[in-house]
Amino acid sequence: MPTLFSIDPRSGVPLYLQLIEQVKRGVALGTLEPGEQLPTVKALALNLTVNPNTVARAYRELERERVIETSPGRGSFVRSQNGVAGARHAIEDVAAGVLAGAVREARSLGLERETVRAVFERELARWFAADGREDT
Amino acid sequence: MSAIEIHNLTKRYGAQTAVDDVTLDVDAGSVCGLLGPNGAGKSTTFKCLLGLAHATSGSLRISGAPVTAQTFESLAYVPEKNDLYCWMTVREHLALTRRAYRNYDAARAAELLAIFKIDSAKLVKRLSKGQQSAVALTLAFAIRPRVLVLDEPSSGLDPIFQRTMLDLVIDAAAGGATVLFSSHQIGQVERAADRVVIMKNGKLVLDGNLDTLKGDEKIIEAVFDAEAVAPNGLASDPRVRRIERSGRILRAYVRTGSSDIVRLLEGLGPKAVSVYDLSLEDIFLGAVADDGSKQGVD
Repeated sequence: MPTLFSIDPRSGVPLYLQLIEQVKRGVALGTLEPGEQLPTVKALALNLTVNPNTVARAYRELERERVIETSPGRGSFVRSQNGVAGARHAIEDVAAGVLAGAVREARSLGLERETVRAVFERELARWFAADGREDT
Repeated sequence: MSAIEIHNLTKRYGAQTAVDDVTLDVDAGSVCGLLGPNGAGKSTTFKCLLGLAHATSGSLRISGAPVTAQTFESLAYVPEKNDLYCWMTVREHLALTRRAYRNYDAARAAELLAIFKIDSAKLVKRLSKGQQSAVALTLAFAIRPRVLVLDEPSSGLDPIFQRTMLDLVIDAAAGGATVLFSSHQIGQVERAADRVVIMKNGKLVLDGNLDTLKGDEKIIEAVFDAEAVAPNGLASDPRVRRIERSGRILRAYVRTGSSDIVRLLEGLGPKAVSVYDLSLEDIFLGAVADDGSKQGVD
């Protein structure tokens, strides 16, 4: 079985949070499709060589956040209801995490709010004008 | 429910205290990784738990009952130095194990020996140290134990078989078994364990869920315009593990409550404050650092 997710056990970021992020990213990018079955806890734990309770915790959290659903005896699946909205939520979650980190970093470097805003606006203009995407 | 209960265990050898009032409960189905420098008391804790050394005081239970001969029907123990008979072949060890354990799984044993590339016709004394460790692990996992106590289970194994060992632990845990293992390799604990315990000088110095520890433990770094001075009370704050100062930089290693400490440091008007996640290695080194390291100006 090829490795499904990239996680770094040595990182200071808790493993179950890394897994949650990876599943959401998969849903957002469509590499995990609505209705698609996820590996069992045991299979994924062995695939990634990580503790099975850690994987189970990530799955429980993803269920709670309605990203996946688990039916007893059948396994865990990417939620198919609200598929598009769910994926959009997942995209926003992943992006929000990255942006939050960037803002925190800028602030920790001593930048003022207005300076951060100016940098942010500049990047918005650069990336959203260049590829012609709607920024709504 | 706790599969392993160690309550107030103390073990003295003469005037020397090897284990000092250690309390550790391991939940059923959990994998607990025990880290600590040499001589921290890890092996002695295991031996006392299993009744192989006489505890000076304390209460020890496995699967809810005191340890008896019956306990070993569903328990596997791999000691630091393997207890194989050097004059016997691997196959003879399998036969011996099969006779002693009701749940012995011959197919699993054969499968594991094949994975470890062990020739079962060989005498144990003709095997390398790593191969002997592999045989000990094969016997341990082939009895399909409900509880595993593994003392440095990867010693002598090459990196590929170390990973195999972790897979065996993960597979057993996924099947509901409880595992308590010691290791010098933080990376192994980081992968296989959901619970981490650190011992130093016979005492437990840290105990927690690995993900929770990683989520809580932070380094807060503040950079000032002038020589850094720790605020009053910071060094004695129970949430602060230790403080490091070097010139205009102050670093606080916090156990929990990082946002409060950040606010406290921001009140001193630093140029910048950053928060960093800690790896288990950082957490381990912080926990076993000499007591003198919690320095700072109070």
